[in-house]
Amino acid sequence: MHPNLLLNISVRYWQDFQDTLARAMNANVYIFDANGDPFSRFSLPAELCQEVNKGRELRNEKCIDFYRSACGSTEDKDMLTCPYGLKLCAYRLGSYAQKIGYLIVAPAGHTTLMEREEEIAFITKAHNVYRTINEVFNAILERNLLGLRRLELNSIYEISRLMTSIVELDRVLELITNSLIIIYQADLCFVGLREGDKIRVAQGKGVRGNLLIGKEWPLVHPLIERIFSKVEPSSLSIEELKVLPGFTGTDAAPGTEIMVYPLWTALGIVGLLGIAAPVSLGDNGSKNLQIYINFAAVALANATLIRRLEREAETDFLTGFLNRRVLRDVLATELQRAARYGYHLSVIFLDIDDFKVYNDTFGHLAGDVVLQKTAELIKNSIRTTDIACRYGGEEFIIVLPGTKGGDAAKVAERIRKSIEINPFPHRRITASLGVAQAKKNDSVDSLLARADQACYQAKERGKNYLYLDPS
Amino acid sequence: MSEIIEKRIGHYETLLREMWTASSKYLGTFSVNLLVERVVWEVSLEYKEIELLQYDQNGISCAKMAARLEENPDLPVEDMFMKFITRYVEILARLLGHERAEEIRKKLDEEFAGDLSASRGE
Repeated sequence: MHPNLLLNISVRYWQDFQDTLARAMNANVYIFDANGDPFSRFSLPAELCQEVNKGRELRNEKCIDFYRSACGSTEDKDMLTCPYGLKLCAYRLGSYAQKIGYLIVAPAGHTTLMEREEEIAFITKAHNVYRTINEVFNAILERNLLGLRRLELNSIYEISRLMTSIVELDRVLELITNSLIIIYQADLCFVGLREGDKIRVAQGKGVRGNLLIGKEWPLVHPLIERIFSKVEPSSLSIEELKVLPGFTGTDAAPGTEIMVYPLWTALGIVGLLGIAAPVSLGDNGSKNLQIYINFAAVALANATLIRRLEREAETDFLTGFLNRRVLRDVLATELQRAARYGYHLSVIFLDIDDFKVYNDTFGHLAGDVVLQKTAELIKNSIRTTDIACRYGGEEFIIVLPGTKGGDAAKVAERIRKSIEINPFPHRRITASLGVAQAKKNDSVDSLLARADQACYQAKERGKNYLYLDPS
Repeated sequence: MSEIIEKRIGHYETLLREMWTASSKYLGTFSVNLLVERVVWEVSLEYKEIELLQYDQNGISCAKMAARLEENPDLPVEDMFMKFITRYVEILARLLGHERAEEIRKKLDEEFAGDLSASRGE
């Protein structure tokens, strides 16, 4: 959040109000923000300042430096003498908890306030000006703060509704990080999800947040352990976080504080969420943010669980390949794509020779090892764009987009050889493979039937053989 | 509505609609509406009239604002819209990264003859 956001008021309107007040009180007024930078202009022409600055605006560097330094050392109120001899009253605006800026009240005319009575009258007048301006500022601040809280609550309400209806993990991650950056004007926001014994950053936005994506932090890392040792958020400086991979390249301003929230649900650790500490959060703001984080944790837990179930439903547990049900959808899509763009498509049907005998002789556990090893050999022989699937007990299908039958046969031969020479436990293992290239108007069933038939032909020719469908 | 007012508002309405469409392509309509709500609130601290901006899942409309401008032609529309656009693009850069936000800004800038550069004081 912009540090002066809560004081975001029209300077033009403010200047009109300030000038009217200054004329009514016959005192010169000007205001500096919390950093000591000029917020408004002189309300009345100051003779001495005019001599120095040739105008009404505060432009003289010497004056600016003086005010900045004076503002920095003003705790509550102070009596000052400017470098050109003007006596001034300085006040700190805002509350002890929230510093808004500084007010300088000067006599409207050139006077050294030598007379005691004159000085007392001026101080009384200055104090009245201070009280009025401080009240107005506090009212503006309160109004703006209420507006911000209303915005936060509306957003949380909308997001909580949406989050409970979205199950796609990517969308939930986008929604969470986008919303937090928008609501809190955060420079950085990231979400890490638990994957076994580590946290993996799944989304990062803001100042080089994308550099964090994919980084892994072990749960046993002392800093991560510290974060999960409590339910409240940890406030960590960017320097402290630099012990974690991904933060070394982050060029966030030194001293930037990151609030890191552990994400818990009844099922345990979901992950963590980091957000560059929003300015002016306050107690209510912190509670609102915590409510949001709680919703985020539940939404992430649901989406993660659903993604896992979806993956498990599509994947063969033993080999990690796609299962038979998904193969039909994948192959249908690839056939459509090949027909639309006019590229080749081939399929390899692989059957492990005499697998039943192996299973019956050496047991199912040994059979599982053969299946897993075969899957690994297939994976090592194909491209990342090829799709491997466990079709049945000891049957595998490999879909090769953009590949002619002859080239697919070369891949199949590579697989056959790698199985043949691999030292499986107990005895040698071989496989028979059939290859078929997709034809115009082929359906999933017709293409698979030809690949299956080619595999049958390979078996007929004595097993440990490769047969390319000639049609 | 006078032709000049209609033209002024129409110009900004087109610009905001383009911004809305370009950013919703990357962020989705919910996030874009949240972003608009955030920026409307910020700008409303200075210009209440920005609250007359209407926005929903289908986009942005300046119809109510145009009616208000008819009653108060002195409203500093340019300053108000430029503040809105500047803040919008600033937050957008955090969400999409500076490169993609700059892409959107440049595309809009070409279509709207330097309005956005002017808003950044270039």
